[in-house]
Amino acid sequence: MNKTLDELFVYPKELVDEESKRVIHLVRQWADKEIISKRQEYRENYEKLFIETRKSLNLTIGLQRLTLPEESGGFGWNNPASTPGIVSVLTEIGRADAAIGVISAVKCVVFAATTLLPHLDKDVCDVLAPIYCADELKTPSLILPGMGTVGEETPLFLGRSILATVEPDGDGYAVNGKNMRPLNSGAVADLFCVVCADKLGRPCVALVPGDDRNIVRGRTLLETGLNASANCDVSFNNVRIPKSYLISRDGVVEQIYTWLNLLLGGVSVGVGMNFFEIVTEWSETRTIKGGTMMKENPLCASVLADVADETFTARLLLYNLAHIMSKPDDWGYSGSQRVYTFSQIIGSQVQQKIMRAINRGLELMGSAGYSREWHVEKHWRDIKTIQSYLCGVGAEAPVKMDTARFFFDCKEI
Amino acid sequence: MKNFDEFSKPEEYISPMDKHLRSALRNWAEKEVMPLRRKYDEDWKEHHLIEPAFDKLMGNKGLGIQKALFPPELGGWGIGQSDYAFTVACALAEEVGRADTGMAVAFMVTYWPLTTILVDPHVNWRLAREFAPMFCETEKAVFAANAMTEPQGGADIENLEITGGKTIRTTARLDGDEWVINGHKLWPTNTGGVAKLFIVPCTTKPGSTDINDFALIFVPADAKGVTQGGPYEKAGMAADKNGDIWFEDVRVPSWYRAQGPGKDAEVFREIIPWGLIGSMGFLCGAMLNLYEILYDFVSTKTYKNKPLKEDDCVAGIIGRIAGDIDICRILAYESARMGDRRNKPYGYPLHSDEVVSKMRNLKDFVSDRAVDVFGKAMDVLGTYGADREYDIEKHWRDIKIIQLWMGGKQLCQMEAARYFFNCKTL
Repeated sequence: MNKTLDELFVYPKELVDEESKRVIHLVRQWADKEIISKRQEYRENYEKLFIETRKSLNLTIGLQRLTLPEESGGFGWNNPASTPGIVSVLTEIGRADAAIGVISAVKCVVFAATTLLPHLDKDVCDVLAPIYCADELKTPSLILPGMGTVGEETPLFLGRSILATVEPDGDGYAVNGKNMRPLNSGAVADLFCVVCADKLGRPCVALVPGDDRNIVRGRTLLETGLNASANCDVSFNNVRIPKSYLISRDGVVEQIYTWLNLLLGGVSVGVGMNFFEIVTEWSETRTIKGGTMMKENPLCASVLADVADETFTARLLLYNLAHIMSKPDDWGYSGSQRVYTFSQIIGSQVQQKIMRAINRGLELMGSAGYSREWHVEKHWRDIKTIQSYLCGVGAEAPVKMDTARFFFDCKEI
Repeated sequence: MKNFDEFSKPEEYISPMDKHLRSALRNWAEKEVMPLRRKYDEDWKEHHLIEPAFDKLMGNKGLGIQKALFPPELGGWGIGQSDYAFTVACALAEEVGRADTGMAVAFMVTYWPLTTILVDPHVNWRLAREFAPMFCETEKAVFAANAMTEPQGGADIENLEITGGKTIRTTARLDGDEWVINGHKLWPTNTGGVAKLFIVPCTTKPGSTDINDFALIFVPADAKGVTQGGPYEKAGMAADKNGDIWFEDVRVPSWYRAQGPGKDAEVFREIIPWGLIGSMGFLCGAMLNLYEILYDFVSTKTYKNKPLKEDDCVAGIIGRIAGDIDICRILAYESARMGDRRNKPYGYPLHSDEVVSKMRNLKDFVSDRAVDVFGKAMDVLGTYGADREYDIEKHWRDIKIIQLWMGGKQLCQMEAARYFFNCKTL
């Protein structure tokens, strides 16, 4: 390959400032040096290296405090204008390892709900900043609304069941919820960011410290991908939180979804770009029909073109969303119905595109793509896991309803 | 609909043995496989859990199904000489595939080399007698493998029409009354130390495009000079081991060649339809199981506080899934019937373009639908889609390789184009 990734998978560079470019460059170096160049070692010793590489990313480079305000010790990327830079960073992380990417994305999502201007919540920031700026690796987890169970009526967030409730309790609140499935890291999380319903059934967001003894964790799940994130079901049995740990402003749940769509999209585009690198090497070193280089066969070339164009258009779409989110004065803030809906559409499309890119590329790689050796099958499993989690319930149905509701003013759905 | 058995299949084509075979296999699957299959991924190397289930399926202490192709006079069931051979194969693949497609492929691929010597009109009685005791007189599961793919060529070996065998590097040299075989094969099912018998596609004259120089030669796994590598770790299909095999001056009797010059190429082309029917059966079985799991899920989980299946939008998605399963099953049995018409005046030989190209085309279609259907079902399950407890994700991982094997999608497309559009240079 005689062109760089950024020459191939273009994005509007003017959206990313010089300081951000330096951080993005650092993260790419981290990805190449610590993971991509050591794929075999990384695969064989995954659990240990997963923690070590997360530490070097979060503590040595300092990304744990990326989106905290500068005055609190962070990088100060808590301004909407930083959105393209943040998604670029997540893309670089995803290129190395999707599970690290998902945890990093969730961290940024939690801070987006609490520290992003103009909604900086100083009380929460004062509590979280010293923890996330300290020299210890932190892992937040996100619990979103999802599906309910027949026979149980739940409050809803745009059709999705909210499984946690929050009620005033003394000078704070009590959070309850049974057998909820977080997006990530339920087994090891030190902080849960959970969408709850208040007494009137209105959605809000509670921050629940992970070490509370009234949290019951199920067994660690075995899943298709992202297993290093160590997820499990959790129940909150009257977990008490301070008053400042509840965020109930309008649009906060929508804002969480918006950021999640953007950043998980970034992770997946990164995975897609790394898959492109692998399949490029493959197609240049394999022959078919007794001697033709695989990429020179027109049918194989058309499959390779699908890999490239799905990844290419996914990245462009994603930066469009980042651009929209970086201009709240033009488009509304990230918790508005408009931006939330755009993010649902683009988030869903990006995941579908990257999934298709990998599925198509696997068709050429055959058994090599299916074996662990080439690392492709891990990308494939990780992306499918992200995609299913992002669907939440009922495949594309909730996103279709969100879209129809906004574009056609549907009232009943 | 009462249960998954009511997905369409052409009842007038179905073998008289169908009900009995299905009942026996379903009992075995539900008792020996389905309760344990979630642990199979960790058992990929040792097969501590998987092997006993295979014994009960294939060996004489259990169902004894590994002898099914052999003629009754040699201790088998005579399926190889039956007018329902393909339809039965489809049903077997479906029932085992419903429980675990990895087990289904490992078990069915054992038949694959044997079809070249046990299926009418090509029964090689001398070799049938030679190998019958190995499969018909044991309580243990005994596996065979088709050592086909070579490291440098990928699907080239299955593309004999174009390559004429010139890319094959595994060689067979006649030395007196023995074949001397040398070469390296990659990834066949039932390698990694599993198979007791290989069939080895090879050339008697390297670089030749003369189809008479293509040979299929049986090689016992314990022959001197055979070395097997360990199994590859994969995304799924834990019950199916794939590894490398090296043949270094391996000597076997001259009569271990399946059919002889010219005929070997013909029966090699005939094994393709068997692989395609098996593939479609595995996929349909897995999809029937998907339906069972999905039915329960969408009936008990809610969206907008209604069962998922009662929401019009979700119903649109799961309705399409069920429709695709129904169509795929019809196509699989229609393909099987093409195979069973091989000896009929209105049928075509198995090696004909009519059969091979159409079956490749149908397998390609069914594979694509299955991959889509499983992906969509995982999304319907949402946060539970990737959870091993729901089994759908296991099937999703397992079946992807079915879409990719036997030359993959692109070879299917090429064969379809050659047949339907009379392409001359592809």
